[in-house]
Amino acid sequence: MFDVAAVGVAFANLLDPFTMIMLVAGILLGLVIGILPGLGPPIAIALALPFTFYMEAVPSLILLLAIYNAAIYGGSISAIAVGIPGTGAAIATVMDGHAMYKQGRGGEALGLSLTGSIIGGLVSVVCLTFIAPVLAQVAIKFGPREFLAISIFGLVVVVRVAGANLFKGLLVGGLGIFLTTWGLDELNGAERYTFGTYHLYEGIPLVPFLVGIFAVSEVLIGAEKALTRIEFDKTSLTVKIPGLRTLSKLKGNLARSSLLGTIIGIIPGEGAAVGAFFAYSEEKRRSKEPEKFGTGIPEGIVAPETANNATVGGALVPTLTLGVPGSPAAAVLLGAFLIQGLAPGPTLFDERPDIMYSLFLGLFFINILLLFIGLFAIRFAAMLIKVPMTVIVPTVLLLSFTGIYAVSNSLFNVGVLLAAGVLGYVVRKLGYSIAPLSIGFVLGPILENSLRQSITIADGSTAEFFNTPIGLGIYAALALTILWAPISTWMRSRGAGKAEDP
Amino acid sequence: MLTQRLANIAFTVLVIIACGYFAVVAQGFEAAGLLASSGLPSRFFPQLLLGFTALCATVVLYVYATKGEAGDEGQTVFASSAEARRGLLALAAAVVSYIAWQNFGYIVMAATSGPLLCLAMGVRNPVVYGVVLALAAGVYLVFTQLLGTQF
Repeated sequence: MFDVAAVGVAFANLLDPFTMIMLVAGILLGLVIGILPGLGPPIAIALALPFTFYMEAVPSLILLLAIYNAAIYGGSISAIAVGIPGTGAAIATVMDGHAMYKQGRGGEALGLSLTGSIIGGLVSVVCLTFIAPVLAQVAIKFGPREFLAISIFGLVVVVRVAGANLFKGLLVGGLGIFLTTWGLDELNGAERYTFGTYHLYEGIPLVPFLVGIFAVSEVLIGAEKALTRIEFDKTSLTVKIPGLRTLSKLKGNLARSSLLGTIIGIIPGEGAAVGAFFAYSEEKRRSKEPEKFGTGIPEGIVAPETANNATVGGALVPTLTLGVPGSPAAAVLLGAFLIQGLAPGPTLFDERPDIMYSLFLGLFFINILLLFIGLFAIRFAAMLIKVPMTVIVPTVLLLSFTGIYAVSNSLFNVGVLLAAGVLGYVVRKLGYSIAPLSIGFVLGPILENSLRQSITIADGSTAEFFNTPIGLGIYAALALTILWAPISTWMRSRGAGKAEDP
Repeated sequence: MLTQRLANIAFTVLVIIACGYFAVVAQGFEAAGLLASSGLPSRFFPQLLLGFTALCATVVLYVYATKGEAGDEGQTVFASSAEARRGLLALAAAVVSYIAWQNFGYIVMAATSGPLLCLAMGVRNPVVYGVVLALAAGVYLVFTQLLGTQF
């Protein structure tokens, strides 16, 4: 199953001093950005993207993966210390983490979140290492109809988890896909929405669009709340790693949350935030004392923190094997692959197994190093919580402008960044999620090409269009995902009705 | 304050109008030379999506117009007038910075965007302005000296 020579090359790649420096730098940068409220993993990766333009594939991707992993963990530090989640993935951690901090047990809470994050991350890397090559082998046989089914599945699931209103999610998802139709038609060379400018011949560029949607819109939202002061007590910031007895008590929670996080990561969607909430509510449901959740108990920190880091490896499964991002952060990561001239998908495993194994091994090292760096750096990194938004906002905007220009040497791309930022800001202010917009933008070309090819193959026959067992399986899974919630609610209400009958 | 209801109604109406406009533009797509007869026409997918997006916008419009909310009852777009002022002024500062770069070059943009955003956010502390300018200089140095970017 594993290409031994490629694994050897991957080891050599990773032991390269520059790659190791990038690995450590990525962890530190991810921690810092994760701690700063509002700046989550997609923004952290987006801001680092321009720097990777000048690097080889392995160190650049390792840098971004380290940022991704560490930023998710970093979000828990501000969640615990000040009750403000640094990232969406840490919202569930606030309840018990901050309660524990206020009781003077901040070190214990930070230790539990660090340990949970590492274990969740490691379990998901193991799953990624074993699942991804197998899935790639299967996916290599996929044709347009299968890719169409996967793209529709990914998009609908993202829309479902992204907000309260299904149609609002579908609207922005559709908008994201529509914007990918701009530029020359790949199949027949027609000019579409180019408005007479050659800049748009290749369509709206992916990286400026994603950086704008995530970073610039966040800058504008941050500017609104820029004068809010953050106060926190730094006395209990020394990490206390939980002992074996505590870990043994939490082993079921750790195992369940790791697997849940990995599975939720694999399903394209909100990724870390959904994984964390799902694991938290599952542990609360299983608990004999659910009323204690939210009062500052270890179970309430371990579940979301383990699950949110476990989504990283999970989200990379569809990203690497199918080119379908498992989370908004993975969508930005996809841009990094394109900058390196690599197209994520099943063929990448055949063409560049050394890079794939470098990423798997790299993720393993990242999690191990995160433990040590986290232990020593938390106390200092937590001080960053006090950096005011009035400093963060102008710096992030300038970094976004400069970084995008540096990648392309094009002021037009900076304009795209700004326009995408304004679009992201408007839709967020109106209560829409930007996840369907960004994932729609990434999936758009796959969706269009596979749909047009599928229709051509079917030649007018509906039966032929759906003559794909794998595709039908995916559509069935999609139907189950959509119908599961109403069916289970109906079954529960029926059960409750029967119990009430005399 | 601007309510979510009013803002969403205006947004969805704009989306529907835009969908109509882009669908009409798509009618004029012409394939190049020999490839012209291959497969489905270029307008097929954009028009399909525009129809879908317009349909979703119509449903959202209907929900806001009849029920008055879509899970955001009584909410406003901005929490306060001060927040609205800061957000919109920051947006204007970002646009002005981009125009400054187009007309006067990168250094002028880098030197003015930070202070402009600080002004938009209502910052009065001169130390913040100093820190922001120092960080802008740092960004410039990293990109020009370390990465070799030419502006």
